[in-house]
Amino acid sequence: MKHLLRKLTLLVMTCGFVASAQATTPEEDLAAFQSFFKKRFPNVETQDFINGAYAIDPVGRENWEAIEEFPPYEPFIDEGQAMWEAPFANGKTYKDCFPDGPAIRGKYPHWDKEKGMVMTLPLALNNCRKANGEKPLKYKKGPINNILSYISYESRGQITNVEIPSDDPKALEAYEAGKKFYYTRRGQLNFSCAHCHLQNAGMILRTETLSPALGHTTHFPVYRSKWGTVGTLHRRFTGCNKQVRAKPFKAHGEEYRNLEYFLTYMSNGLPLNGPGARK
Amino acid sequence: MHKTKVLKFSLLAGILCSSMTTLALADDVSAAKVQKLIDAADSARKQAAEVGGEWRDTSKMIKKAKALLEKGDFVAAAKLANKAAKQGHLGYEQAMSQKELTLPSYLHYE
Repeated sequence: MKHLLRKLTLLVMTCGFVASAQATTPEEDLAAFQSFFKKRFPNVETQDFINGAYAIDPVGRENWEAIEEFPPYEPFIDEGQAMWEAPFANGKTYKDCFPDGPAIRGKYPHWDKEKGMVMTLPLALNNCRKANGEKPLKYKKGPINNILSYISYESRGQITNVEIPSDDPKALEAYEAGKKFYYTRRGQLNFSCAHCHLQNAGMILRTETLSPALGHTTHFPVYRSKWGTVGTLHRRFTGCNKQVRAKPFKAHGEEYRNLEYFLTYMSNGLPLNGPGARK
Repeated sequence: MHKTKVLKFSLLAGILCSSMTTLALADDVSAAKVQKLIDAADSARKQAAEVGGEWRDTSKMIKKAKALLEKGDFVAAAKLANKAAKQGHLGYEQAMSQKELTLPSYLHYE
């Protein structure tokens, strides 16, 4: 009898392990992720998740709509347009690097097979600058936000459609690394990204409503009243990591690039609406 | 009378000298000990960083402990170095405990 019990316990433990370590495909992840939010917030239209916390917080939404009447990010769009049109020292412009530009936001992030890495828009912009003998821009603050604001504004309405090409297993590895990052506890507070923006989305943390992860990537770069300026997605990643008292990673380093790849994939199907305005 | 004065003076000088030597020795020992604690904290921080588990304030604590050591505040420096070492160890343990991806149970896969 004891022997049988031991065998049964072992079987149950093994089954539990297999269940927790099961491999899931990106398509399955996407379906589970989006269905979680649809069940959690049944009254929110899927497309409205691009508005972050304002999709679920009516009072915050009123304030935000008032702010959007005179968008604080507008001067940054204008500056960005000037940047886009201004020739580099060699006479070339961004257009020479991005012939389809400026509405190219929907193409990023993507898997760059040649380089074997996730290519983000800020990284591509800096690659263009370097190729033309210009100094790269800083990734979190400053002029990079101008050009990102302009490109994002011109790309409004494009649909998020991140692809994970099946002909390169490294692409799936990058996606999996981003997913692992998202669900990993870190920092002194022992939180993962998912703890705040998945499990507790819609709950109040101090005075703030925790925004749902679905739609998180659509509205960047974003003007945050707290920052008093426009900032990049990787600046926000840095801030989130600091808030849980973890040492942040390098902006557009491998960790955050992969995270962006996973997180943007999770918003597949949602329209782009950057630049945005947030508290 | 003069002899007594010389004796008293010699005794006082002796006591002063020996206590100064003891103090200097104590300072040396404490400084070396605190430096060891700081080095240990930095190793722990690096170990955590290698697995992506470094916490936000650990390196700041180590920097502050170094400054306190330079100022001669050994007790505060040692306390902070120990705290930083603990953070380093916990950060490493946390990262190790998260090695395997566990998907949340509230995500329902059909």
